[in-house]
Amino acid sequence: MKITTLFVASLLAASVSGCKLVKTSNGEGGAAADPIAETVETTFDAKLVPALTEKAVDLATLQGAIKGSLDKAGESYGVRVGGAGGGWNFPVKGTATVLEDTRASTKAAVAEIDVDGDGKADATLQLGPVVKGSALRDTTNLYDFSTFRDQIEYAKLGRALNDKAVSKLPPAETELKGKKVNFVGAVVIRSASEKPLITPVSIEVAP
Amino acid sequence: MKLTKRLLMSVVALGIAGAMSGTALAADTIAIITPSHSNPFFKAEADGAAAKAKELGYATMVLVHDDDANKQSELFDSAIAAGVKAIILDNAGADASVAAVQKAKDKGIPSFLIDREITTTGVAVSQIVSNNYQGAQLGAEEFVKLMGEKGNYAELLGKESDTNAGIRSQGYHDVIDQYSDLKLVAKQTANWSQTEAYTVMESMLQAHPDIKGVISGNDTMAMGAYAALEAAGRKDVIVVGFDGSNDVRDSIKKGGIKATVLQPAYQQAQNAVEQADKFIKTGKTGLDEKQLMDCILINADNADKLETFALKP
Repeated sequence: MKITTLFVASLLAASVSGCKLVKTSNGEGGAAADPIAETVETTFDAKLVPALTEKAVDLATLQGAIKGSLDKAGESYGVRVGGAGGGWNFPVKGTATVLEDTRASTKAAVAEIDVDGDGKADATLQLGPVVKGSALRDTTNLYDFSTFRDQIEYAKLGRALNDKAVSKLPPAETELKGKKVNFVGAVVIRSASEKPLITPVSIEVAP
Repeated sequence: MKLTKRLLMSVVALGIAGAMSGTALAADTIAIITPSHSNPFFKAEADGAAAKAKELGYATMVLVHDDDANKQSELFDSAIAAGVKAIILDNAGADASVAAVQKAKDKGIPSFLIDREITTTGVAVSQIVSNNYQGAQLGAEEFVKLMGEKGNYAELLGKESDTNAGIRSQGYHDVIDQYSDLKLVAKQTANWSQTEAYTVMESMLQAHPDIKGVISGNDTMAMGAYAALEAAGRKDVIVVGFDGSNDVRDSIKKGGIKATVLQPAYQQAQNAVEQADKFIKTGKTGLDEKQLMDCILINADNADKLETFALKP
């Protein structure tokens, strides 16, 4: 809500500061003509990443809590999104060993990660470029659907946040398999038995 | 169609009669306005809303606008004149419906929208819609997998005035377009219609006999397309729909259409009536105006559990 207000305010400021003509984007130096891109630029690093980092629950802790009760884990660490067909959205962080990196073989690439050290994958990090879902958009209260014209605009934001997140991940040349990584991201969990499919905003290879 | 209308009108008459019968506690009436019930999706919505309204002690006035914004406007006039307490609406156009909803609001009658959005907020009390983008991505991911990430395919689009047609197409393409070996060779609207989809599919097949898959904006068009493919001896073509109708469920179980995406239409309509009831009694719903409900992928693995736009536990 805040963001929209600021955004509208900046639009107003832009429109009263001088000429009547609407500025078209003709490249250099101009503000982004696309309000979605603008929202992503102004919020991703400044608000979304800090909000997720601050609230993130350790993945091992979360998985333990989910084993007890998904709804209780959700009430403690998450937000409910999407009604009956939806699930709980959680901000998550953790340290894990990458068992597999599929970037060479598919567009919807992932890293299978081992959190508890038993040599088996217990969660998945999405590496893109095809990223499923809108966990980044929905896990914080930064982006309010009611302030968007329709689902199309709201969906564009979800996609743009995913694309931005992928651009922040280690490049494809950095082989992740076998490495220990620290990650922060967001995840939707619909059933207690599913393996978390996390959309990361950062993956750092541990030294 | 005539008969349906007449039946509906008689339902209306009964509803109003019920509301006006001389008992001390005459039931309040809720109007339920949707597109034509010839698409089972809209029938499920109307049935879900009517069942919940009855359960909560309301009489109902069930009307169909046939995707005609003028007719919708007249139906709003009728509902307003009848003094309904609330209107449950699956609207006839994202832009064109704003005026009708505003007209009711000006008369103090709150509207609760389901399935389709309007382009203005602050006019309806609630807009409860399926997360069409999320659902389309689920359908597209399944389609990509079924296609083996390559081959020529066609797309059937819904009615242009309906936001959901655009959003589903975008959800499909945000996934599919990232696979460069999947080639879109034909893309055309069939206006959500089964018969139109049959004709469109026939001509697409003539122009592009090498089609390997068809992704459709809804289930009725998927049914039409599959019938045309079947008639042409092309049951090998992969068809994926959207809605989660019983017709497509049965086709999936027989190995025909491969997948669809369930919109929780019945539940959505019931939620809208619950929110209307709360609003009538307390003046607020306690919820955001715009509410998204997630969709669920349906394929051979879970088709058995699908019944009238809801998954059995």
